[in-house]
Amino acid sequence: MSHRTTPTPRLPGLRRGVAGVALLTAGAVCALATPAQATGSRVAASQPLVALLDGHVARTGPSAGSRRIEYVKALRPLTHVRTFLPVLGYATSNAGNRWAHVRLPGRPSGHTGWIPAKRTRRASTAWHIAIRLSTRRVTVYHRGRVKRHFSAVVGKPSTPTPRGRFFVEEALQLSSRDAGGPFALATSARSAVLQEFEGGPGQIALHGIDNLSGAPGTAASHGCVRLTTGAITWLVRRVGAGVPLTIRR
Amino acid sequence: MPKPIHLNRAGMALAACCSFLALPAAAQAAAVDLGTASPFVVLGGQEVSNTGASLLNGDLGVSPGTSLPGFQSATVNGTTHNNDAVAAQAQSDLTAAFDVAAAEPLNIGGDLSTQDLAGKTLLAGAYGFTSDAQLSGTVTFDAQNDPNAQFVVKVGSQLTTGSGSAVVLANGANPCNIYWKVDTAVLGSTTAFQGNVLALTSISLNNGASVIGRMLARNGTTSLINNTLNNSSCRSTSTPPGGTPPGGTPPGGTTPGTPTTPPGTGSSPGTGNQAPPESRTTVRTRNGSAILRRTPGGSCRDGFRARVRGKKIKRVVFSMDGKRISSRSKSPFAVSVRGSAGRHKVTARVTFTDATRAKTLKLGYRACSSALLQPRRGPSQFTG
Repeated sequence: MSHRTTPTPRLPGLRRGVAGVALLTAGAVCALATPAQATGSRVAASQPLVALLDGHVARTGPSAGSRRIEYVKALRPLTHVRTFLPVLGYATSNAGNRWAHVRLPGRPSGHTGWIPAKRTRRASTAWHIAIRLSTRRVTVYHRGRVKRHFSAVVGKPSTPTPRGRFFVEEALQLSSRDAGGPFALATSARSAVLQEFEGGPGQIALHGIDNLSGAPGTAASHGCVRLTTGAITWLVRRVGAGVPLTIRR
Repeated sequence: MPKPIHLNRAGMALAACCSFLALPAAAQAAAVDLGTASPFVVLGGQEVSNTGASLLNGDLGVSPGTSLPGFQSATVNGTTHNNDAVAAQAQSDLTAAFDVAAAEPLNIGGDLSTQDLAGKTLLAGAYGFTSDAQLSGTVTFDAQNDPNAQFVVKVGSQLTTGSGSAVVLANGANPCNIYWKVDTAVLGSTTAFQGNVLALTSISLNNGASVIGRMLARNGTTSLINNTLNNSSCRSTSTPPGGTPPGGTPPGGTTPGTPTTPPGTGSSPGTGNQAPPESRTTVRTRNGSAILRRTPGGSCRDGFRARVRGKKIKRVVFSMDGKRISSRSKSPFAVSVRGSAGRHKVTARVTFTDATRAKTLKLGYRACSSALLQPRRGPSQFTG
């Protein structure tokens, strides 16, 4: 079965193909790179998104005959906001149906799939979050330009923060009793170590430091990225569902 | 016990009394602009006919018809346009001017339906008749020393003037700024008329009627009989109300503060203004103006509405932070603005229909905190 694929948008910070693989695998080389080189110059000004108007079955290819991956609900589980997925490209099947290649939430972290474009709505975001684990630094981009840098607590060696390309599933306000308040950005990434944590699926989030220890700039968390109250508050006021997240070594 | 006052009777008496007094003006109305129809002293739709030795100081035209019978005996001190592009454009501009005149809001007490115009003094603004209008004597237009005063008389059906009736100007009123929007007009013999008749259908001038102004019919016939028509005082500019009166002084020699002599009784407009037309130079006015305002109401979160108001606006291009967001070529020149949190600059590039130089208007905009996202409450189930 043949299909036409629309150009895939350039993704932030990484060259595609061999260069990207090399960058991910050659840890020693990456460790020498400066933050500006790793996160600075190639963030796309805008990321296409789709909003799911209904639940969709994600498949391995742009056809109804492709293998089913999972069912993606139209609303996110924690706050029940609309599901937004980053779009990597579009394709039209031989049957004439349009499909979207999207990033998917959950395990395995950073996986992608194809969903029918029907019953979706196109959207976009100008925001992008990039995290560099080696420097424990969060960089926020808007329209491809750096807006803010924040120092963060990242995962300790035994429970590392997963690396890859993810996205923000939903933003939420936590109660004052919750650990990690006052806000959190729940991401599509999942811990490679903790399959379940606090009744959740080992979901990685960017959140605050309420009721938690650890100083910004250290590696002390269970995988989540902890930010100061000021930083996470600034972030959740601007960043919503669908915003791409890149986590590097 | 004191006798009760009959308020209704008092009010009626007051109203009757006031009908002979000056009628008040309303807020400044929109300017009626004849555009390319300005040079025409007579314009017809299907036909313009003449009988006898009429004198026309101004252009003569007909469009879309082609019939101009009887002008062998007339004197036309102007150009004759027989269904050419000039006449067609003039008809188009006449239609636009007609519509503007028709849309003028009436002055307070400006509904003169069933009343005779004779004996009335009209101040600047618009007046209306739902059906026919009658002028059996003299009506006065008083500009109150405002050379830009505009008068619009809207007649739902036919305007009829009696024999020997007259239009008189006072205190600087300009016949070029008087517009009679009618369905049909019939000027009685020897009527001394002033102003621009904008007729939907037809215009008939009976024997000896004189006009300072223009007789412009959109669809039907304009017929003349031994008439004198003169628009030379109106032709040097397109004469919007904001413009300088042609010639620098009010037409007809009107001196501010002094009512003019009725043209029919003193210096007849037909006989007193027989000079050949001046050499025509098109003078483009610079009366354009524009202001950019943020419309009140609506929270920061919902953005706001930026609107440009002014005169002679041709096009407005709106931009935010240097990026074009909208272009408007007709009113309302407005756009809804919604930016992300932070400071933004909204600009409006305004071009004008006349010679006014284009200008760029700017408006600062800062999204308040309510424009920021408000996440919902949810449980903490993360790895921490």
